[in-house]
Amino acid sequence: MNELIQNSDTLSAVKDTVVSAMESANGEIPDLQFKISNISTDSLVLTVLGYTIVFLALLFLFITFVNVTRLLNYKIKKKLQSTGKEKEETETIDLSGEVTAAISTALILHFREIHDFESTIITIKKVQKPYSPWSSKIYGLRQYPGKR
Amino acid sequence: MDAILRELIDGFNIFIQYTGFANLTIGHFLMLIVGCIFISLGIIKEYEPLLLVPIGFGVLLGNIPFLETAGMQIGIYEEGSVLNYLYFGVLKGIYPPLIFLGIGAMTDFSTLLSNPKLMLLGAAAQIGIFLTFLAALALGFSTQQAAAIGIIGGADGPTAIFLSSKLAPELIGAIAIAAYSYMALVPVLQPPIIKLLTNKEERRIKMKPPRAVGKTEKILFPIVGLLLTTFISPGGLPLLGMLFFGNLLKESGVTRRLADTASKPLIDIVTILLGLTVGASTQATTFLTPQSILIFVLGAISFMIATAGGVIFAKAMNLFLKGDNKLNPMIGAAGVSAVPDSARVVQHLGLKEDKSNYLLMHAMAPNVSGVIGSAVAAGILLSFLTHIL
Repeated sequence: MNELIQNSDTLSAVKDTVVSAMESANGEIPDLQFKISNISTDSLVLTVLGYTIVFLALLFLFITFVNVTRLLNYKIKKKLQSTGKEKEETETIDLSGEVTAAISTALILHFREIHDFESTIITIKKVQKPYSPWSSKIYGLRQYPGKR
Repeated sequence: MDAILRELIDGFNIFIQYTGFANLTIGHFLMLIVGCIFISLGIIKEYEPLLLVPIGFGVLLGNIPFLETAGMQIGIYEEGSVLNYLYFGVLKGIYPPLIFLGIGAMTDFSTLLSNPKLMLLGAAAQIGIFLTFLAALALGFSTQQAAAIGIIGGADGPTAIFLSSKLAPELIGAIAIAAYSYMALVPVLQPPIIKLLTNKEERRIKMKPPRAVGKTEKILFPIVGLLLTTFISPGGLPLLGMLFFGNLLKESGVTRRLADTASKPLIDIVTILLGLTVGASTQATTFLTPQSILIFVLGAISFMIATAGGVIFAKAMNLFLKGDNKLNPMIGAAGVSAVPDSARVVQHLGLKEDKSNYLLMHAMAPNVSGVIGSAVAAGILLSFLTHIL
């Protein structure tokens, strides 16, 4: 494919444009050869530092939220203690994945059914009888020819 | 009569010069085939159709050959053309933060909050970004270009576009196409790596159901998250700011209309514009270069390293965790931020091993933390490298 690209006149012209764009942006043209020597010490430092910072950012977030949860639970505990209870009176139910999925689906189906407006007329439907000459009374009557 | 005939022939010749047939090159033809492949992958295989169909159609749109010297102002790279105006949102990095706003308004962080240690998996998977950065440098790319290529490993299209628009705008088309292609190919790329790094027993580990998360925690998360991450990495402010803002709109409960707009019409509009213009930016004359092909290869490597990084880190965490708290190492693969595809892949693999093992909710936690992680990484690279420009 490279040969095809190189052979095309239009593409070679535009290749020059791309290369010049790259040159203007960075002053370098990739030579597409794998050389470890191309990696500078600065880049290595950036890699190590960058990855560590990403890790630290999420580690801080983790530590913060572990403590936020503890803090919120502590408040609940305090409240319960003031009312004379040691623990929140909730039963821990261990449900399997299937049961949880079934309950969730049932709840979703139930809540989808709920709506604001509902027609109060359920059974009475307006019966429509469109006109048909086959049932027309006029054809059932004797008709005399009129005098003109 | 002769003069009229000559004029007619001249007119016909001019018409021929302006047609696509006269300006067709092998490059255009190849790109039109690529566009058709993208569209068929989206429609037939249903691989990320919301992305691949607009991108694929954009590839067709951008590769209809025309006389570029005529100055008709129709090509995406021609100043004043409609496509050029729409492409402005990509070039200036406007669309990615808007996409992040929508993602924030759609994302439920409660699985992450119920088990915050899973945040570390999102961080671990970002190793792909940094190792590919080094590989790109070794291949002779400039530092800025290498950083923009490395971010493909974050598996986050908007983040990749955002960073390349700032650091290496000349590579934006190739990087965006690579990032979105690999996001769409998550179901193909990730399972072999996951299977290679885990054994049957590990893949069958059942994790403790996530606990219910209170409203206060959910509201606090976007605020605290924004303050913490952007103080550490202000470069990621446009992305992280919009992500957490969108999430606050959702979780506050009082701005439902805004959250609905951000998560539905707004993100749909931006996805259409982004997909179409990114696709159209692959105009054969500027896109088909050896560098673009190399970017694709590096992107794939980056993505694989990221997946492996997440899985290996989950296994390492298991060494310190006991009993119920053990992690199914497959969820580490979801640390790449292709939301929710990676999590879905983990769920499928989990169900294949054990029909009662539902990992989706557990995998969503590293998946969303991967979004935060890749935005933080982008911010760091941006702040380190901007002053070199």
